[in-house]
Amino acid sequence: MEQSWMATPWVIAALAGAGLIALGLGALVLTTSVYKHVICTKYLFSGWKAVVPLVSAMPAALGVFLLILVFAIMDGFAQDTREVTRGTLADIIVDAHFEGLPYYDDFAARIEKIDCVEVATPVVQTFAMVRVKPRFPAVRATVQPCLLIGIRPGEKALVGRFQQYLQRQKVPEDDPSKAALFPADQLLTVPPAFAEAQRERGIPVRPGAVVGIGLVSYPVKEVKAQTVDVSTVVILAWSLVGVLALGAAAVGYRAMRRYGHTTPAAWLAALYLLVVPAIGAALLAARGVGLLFPADPPFPSPKLTMAGSSGETWLTWGGVAALAIVWIVAAVLVFLSRERRFFWLRPVGLMHFLGGAAALLAFWSSGLQYGPHRVEQEQVVDELAVPYGGEIVVSTIPISARGAIGIEAGGVPKVNTRALTLVDTFKSGFWESDASHVYVDFGVAQALAGMDGRPAAGPDESAAPARASQIQVKVRDPARSAAIVERIRDAWRQFVADRPDAAAMVSVNTWETQQKTILGVVEMEKNITALMLGMMFLGFGVLIALISYVMAYIKSRDVGILKALGARDVGVGSLFLGYGFIVGLLGTAAGLVGALLMIHYLDPIEVWVNQTLHTDVFPRTTYYFEHIPRHLSAAWCVGVSLSVLALSTLASLAGGLLAAIKQPVETLRNE
Amino acid sequence: MSEPLEKQARDGPILEASGLVKDYWMGPSRLRVLQGVSLSVARGEFLCVLGPSGSGKSTLLHLLGLLDRPTEGRVVFEGQDAFDRPKRWRDRMRNEAIGFVFQFYYLMPDLTVLGNTLLPAMVRTPAVVWPFARHRYRREALGVLKDLGLGERVGHLPNELSGGERQRAAIARALVHRPRVLFADEPTGNLDSATGAEIMKVLQRLNRKGGLTVVMVTHDERIARQADRVLHLQDGRLQGGG
Repeated sequence: MEQSWMATPWVIAALAGAGLIALGLGALVLTTSVYKHVICTKYLFSGWKAVVPLVSAMPAALGVFLLILVFAIMDGFAQDTREVTRGTLADIIVDAHFEGLPYYDDFAARIEKIDCVEVATPVVQTFAMVRVKPRFPAVRATVQPCLLIGIRPGEKALVGRFQQYLQRQKVPEDDPSKAALFPADQLLTVPPAFAEAQRERGIPVRPGAVVGIGLVSYPVKEVKAQTVDVSTVVILAWSLVGVLALGAAAVGYRAMRRYGHTTPAAWLAALYLLVVPAIGAALLAARGVGLLFPADPPFPSPKLTMAGSSGETWLTWGGVAALAIVWIVAAVLVFLSRERRFFWLRPVGLMHFLGGAAALLAFWSSGLQYGPHRVEQEQVVDELAVPYGGEIVVSTIPISARGAIGIEAGGVPKVNTRALTLVDTFKSGFWESDASHVYVDFGVAQALAGMDGRPAAGPDESAAPARASQIQVKVRDPARSAAIVERIRDAWRQFVADRPDAAAMVSVNTWETQQKTILGVVEMEKNITALMLGMMFLGFGVLIALISYVMAYIKSRDVGILKALGARDVGVGSLFLGYGFIVGLLGTAAGLVGALLMIHYLDPIEVWVNQTLHTDVFPRTTYYFEHIPRHLSAAWCVGVSLSVLALSTLASLAGGLLAAIKQPVETLRNE
Repeated sequence: MSEPLEKQARDGPILEASGLVKDYWMGPSRLRVLQGVSLSVARGEFLCVLGPSGSGKSTLLHLLGLLDRPTEGRVVFEGQDAFDRPKRWRDRMRNEAIGFVFQFYYLMPDLTVLGNTLLPAMVRTPAVVWPFARHRYRREALGVLKDLGLGERVGHLPNELSGGERQRAAIARALVHRPRVLFADEPTGNLDSATGAEIMKVLQRLNRKGGLTVVMVTHDERIARQADRVLHLQDGRLQGGG
């Protein structure tokens, strides 16, 4: 069900609260002593200590990344399952069980008069056995239990996503013009070609049936080519170049800001760091506009590989080698400069190292082929055991309006059997349905289930009206389903009052209530995963607390100096709290961006991982989904980010408290 | 403050200590470092407390400088009993009225010389005010640094300076907010004799020309001789009274 999360009252309250907190924090930051900003910035970005916030930010980043990514995939599973379940059923189901509901058309007409109801269609539903004789002579027929569903296809197509789940008569969403080829009301009609074939075999034309793919097929593993856009690597390469350029600018700025003193090492590193992204950007741009090489053919390679042509290979690896040489020469020059003892322990040195590593990666990735690629991947395809137009046989036990099973002479239950023509297969992606549903025309199902109307057999016996098992209802605004359920219940009470002979045991529920067992399991799995990740993140919180404590311990002399200069205990403590907040912010931002990128590029990344590690991280045989499902919830992203931010700030209390209670004389008394 | 108290604060000694006792606990055993020290420091005086290592000099300086709380006794700073006042008041005094110079300089290693000198100003200035006050503070800090011969070294980090330069930077940090008392804990203890003499000249100049009250502790008699008055501290007791 699509929900506007922005419209929910708690989100508005949470946003208002977050806004107030942000305002308060802003005011606090502005009114607090400026030394905290200066020292905190130095701790974050100065010298070897810059490694500490990076290490501290990692647990937060990892926590946010995992919580968002895993939850998005789990939520994707849940959402897809819900969507498929809802698509198979309807928004609201009036269920009269196997005994059935008489005068269903009258009641459906009353339901359609309720505001917000779009369509109401009767459905017959009963358990049955389906016999399938595979086309291979050596293979024996199989008999499986199934759910026989009688529908009016034109109405059923309006109620759910029935037609979208059909394999032969599906109308592609990107090409609605094909709808004319497969009119919804004829989805169960046997096509003339199939009918002609049956006539040629000397058998009467059988009614059409749509059968769940799991009943008439067997899974076959097949290497299938598919097109995947692997432009991610180029985006990453550009991002790295951008980060590198920013880093270079930061180093250059820092070099200039040092009052009256500029180290040659700083200038050298700044220059070097500016040159590298410039080369990287030029190379990427040249490739992008096809200056260096002819444009890639549409499908240059069957696999995602390194540069295809020898020229590209030479340039890529040549670029990496040249960069490595520049790097080494720069390192030697820096080492020979007068500040060599400290260079590697300063931000310039750190930027040098990180920048070099990032540039190497950027060069390497620039050599990858990108754009749409045809990749070969092992997939599961459904091989039909019975061809379209072939025959299946359905047998069911009719049940009377009183719930009695018909008994033949000799006490044998009466069984209705009917041969049907396979006109299509049904594949929703939800295995429970795909392996059990057999759809036939409403009238055919009524006859099989014993729900067809019968005239009075004699003066002592009244006529038996035709019955339907369910009435499926489509509403215009699914958010109002619960209210409409109540209105349908009222309508039913009125209907029974008007027509006492229509009385039947009827339940009216939304599709969610109807399927609560399955949906509950999926939701529970999702929640357990979130809980486990949350627990894991608490472990990260302890790690952040430890890092913060160690940081404050290492910095105890600074604490003493600041207190000797008049800084208050609370002020010095809040310095470390602010430090934890910024570290949490950096980690959260990194984790969030990483998770969003990963979710966005999940398919190409999956292909890359499968091919690189020769594995199958998402076997289609197990999950039966074409792609790894995902659903990104903005509320979840915001919630996780704020929680992680709050947790890392709280964890920093360990360092903050240590700094606050530290007596200045303890650290200043002796060296 | 009432009129007589103000007058007393203006005319009387800037600092008085009476019966100062300081105990440290090492597990169950008590170590009494100061045993009832009383002294008085006049405005503009250059007082030196001389004593061997372990005699309690630094502890006394920390108590006088309101960095630590005595076990017994009281410290009167500018007419006010410092430990009767809230901790916030003592923090403010350390920031506005007191300057510290330590033997090991205790400069912030991540800040340049100028950054270190600006630190007291940064402690008392809210971030929102800083952009407007920064230029004035910077001008004042540069003036002090220039006076102390560090005009060319303002952009350097402490680890790029010599010992004497570091101590001068520490003095600049202690002076930039124009304190009434400067506490110096073995300011020449970590320097060679020539550099030590140079630092002493700076302190003397500040005392004699600027009228700054200086309280210094040292174990070096030659250094102590340059002060107006010398008190001998032995085993936590002042010899001959304060």
